[in-house]
Amino acid sequence: MRRYGGPVLLCLVGAAALRITLFSELYLRYVQHALRPYLIVSGIALILLGVTTAVLRSRTADGEDGADGGSDEDGGSDEDGHGHHGHSHHGHHGAAGPRIAWLLTLPAFALLVFPPPALGSYSAGREAAQRAAQGVGAFPALPAGNPVELTLAEFSSRAIYDSGRSLTGRTVRMTGFVTHGSGGTWYLTRLMVTCCAADATTSKVEIRGEDAPPTDTWVTVTGTWHPKGRLGSDAAWPPVLDAGSAKTVKQPSDPYETP
Amino acid sequence: MHNQRTVADGLRLLTRAVVHVVLGGTALLAIATVASVLGPTLALDLYTPPVAAWWTVFTAVAVQGVPFLLLGTVVSAAIGAFVPERVFTRLLPRNQALAVPVAGAAGVVLPGCECASVPVAGSLMRRGVAPAAALAFLLSAPAINPVVLVATSIAFPGQPRMVLARLLASLGTAVVMGWLWARFGRDDWLRPPRTARDSHATGPRAFVTGLQHDFLHAGGFLVLGAAAAATFNIAVPRSVLDVFTGSAWTAVPLLAVLAVVLCVCSEADAFVAASLSAFPATARLAFMVVGPMVDLKLIALQAGTFGRRFALRFSSATWLVALSSSALVGWWLL
Repeated sequence: MRRYGGPVLLCLVGAAALRITLFSELYLRYVQHALRPYLIVSGIALILLGVTTAVLRSRTADGEDGADGGSDEDGGSDEDGHGHHGHSHHGHHGAAGPRIAWLLTLPAFALLVFPPPALGSYSAGREAAQRAAQGVGAFPALPAGNPVELTLAEFSSRAIYDSGRSLTGRTVRMTGFVTHGSGGTWYLTRLMVTCCAADATTSKVEIRGEDAPPTDTWVTVTGTWHPKGRLGSDAAWPPVLDAGSAKTVKQPSDPYETP
Repeated sequence: MHNQRTVADGLRLLTRAVVHVVLGGTALLAIATVASVLGPTLALDLYTPPVAAWWTVFTAVAVQGVPFLLLGTVVSAAIGAFVPERVFTRLLPRNQALAVPVAGAAGVVLPGCECASVPVAGSLMRRGVAPAAALAFLLSAPAINPVVLVATSIAFPGQPRMVLARLLASLGTAVVMGWLWARFGRDDWLRPPRTARDSHATGPRAFVTGLQHDFLHAGGFLVLGAAAAATFNIAVPRSVLDVFTGSAWTAVPLLAVLAVVLCVCSEADAFVAASLSAFPATARLAFMVVGPMVDLKLIALQAGTFGRRFALRFSSATWLVALSSSALVGWWLL
């Protein structure tokens, strides 16, 4: 194990990377979709590297009779008298790779055996939802379609900042999970992830006219914009949707929105 | 005689194997039974929403770090194995004071985030590049490469000054830190980065060995940093920040601290900065300048590569320089 620890670790990390990208869409719970090809390439490269290192190691063992494993000890005792000190200095750089590397088993096993869930209402509730930074101005026209599919982030910025009022008179459809506010209000909520789940920010839209489903249920809501407050002011936020229908759906494979 | 011994040996081996299988099997069965009975209830009790969110953020930081770390270690192992030392001595000016800005500007060529730059800087030092120049490269590469600058311009539409301010403040910090190291730095703070083997070996074999060692080593520290980042992410709600948004005197240092604990990848931090809309522009600039140079994940990586004594001194000095440089550039440009 001491000899092959490093190669095993590399293969483990590579396998974890491939399991969440090549064999499922689980990676979307952690990072945004643009990272997929890089993760696949990394996974394959890591496994190849692990196998190559293992082959090199076994060859060294056959040919030079274990010179590989002993090299550290030799290096230490070369400095006569300081042998012990030298050894302890090199100690954590054994043939199996540095000891700290074993920490890699934590995320690797988590991904292989029990992939952590996507962030949901807990994370959304902890952060005051952020409004995208922008000024009031006219937005480009909405795409055709009735109802028109929008992301929550897009709906929010149009509702708060669009001086052209492009949402007026349009039926929109949005998908997100349910969070509850005070006094029986409920929100359609979605997290936006730019690079990885550590940078998640929250968008939410207050839903009126439909009964609140339980927290964290995924729903698709169709409805019309309910203007409120002056454009760009705090009173305009969070935006409101008069719902015509709210349908429970399965969690989408990409649980986050991307900018 | 000879045969008898072989038979006896075989029998002994067989008995031992049977004993091992029986004992080990019983133990495994016992563990499996206990785990399957107690496991689900225990797991459900422990798997509260904050714990689940911690695991998600932890794995997310680790997962997004892996490709960049691999890129960084491939470049660093390639430098170690295939690029002779004289290339760098020829490329960089002999004079350290001149070499620092050249190395800082050279950071433009490594299109990665901060995880990639630490192993590369380590291998540059092994190849005889002056530490001051290698450190300037370490700081500037994740902050001023084209990918990061384009991301910044997308996150701040219609504000090209923000991109320019980020470029100038980051480059300024990197160069000043390089000069500070050249003037005050002591080589014994810096544990010379070494691989498991002879660092003078070259060729494909040295490449493979160096690559696997560097990746495992830096990967372990990346996991450590990811755990720290996830802990802060879960423990400190961002709504706490709203208290400090009013005055620039509190807002700028506060976002500089936030950049350290959040460990957002340098290719994404502009979007996070853009979403912190309640803060003054200079504070958001400080967030983007400090983030790629000092954060928990990076401190862990640097401690692993260059030693703890170096990481603490260097990171705190860099934090101060980055803060002043972004305050200065922000006051001038924004």
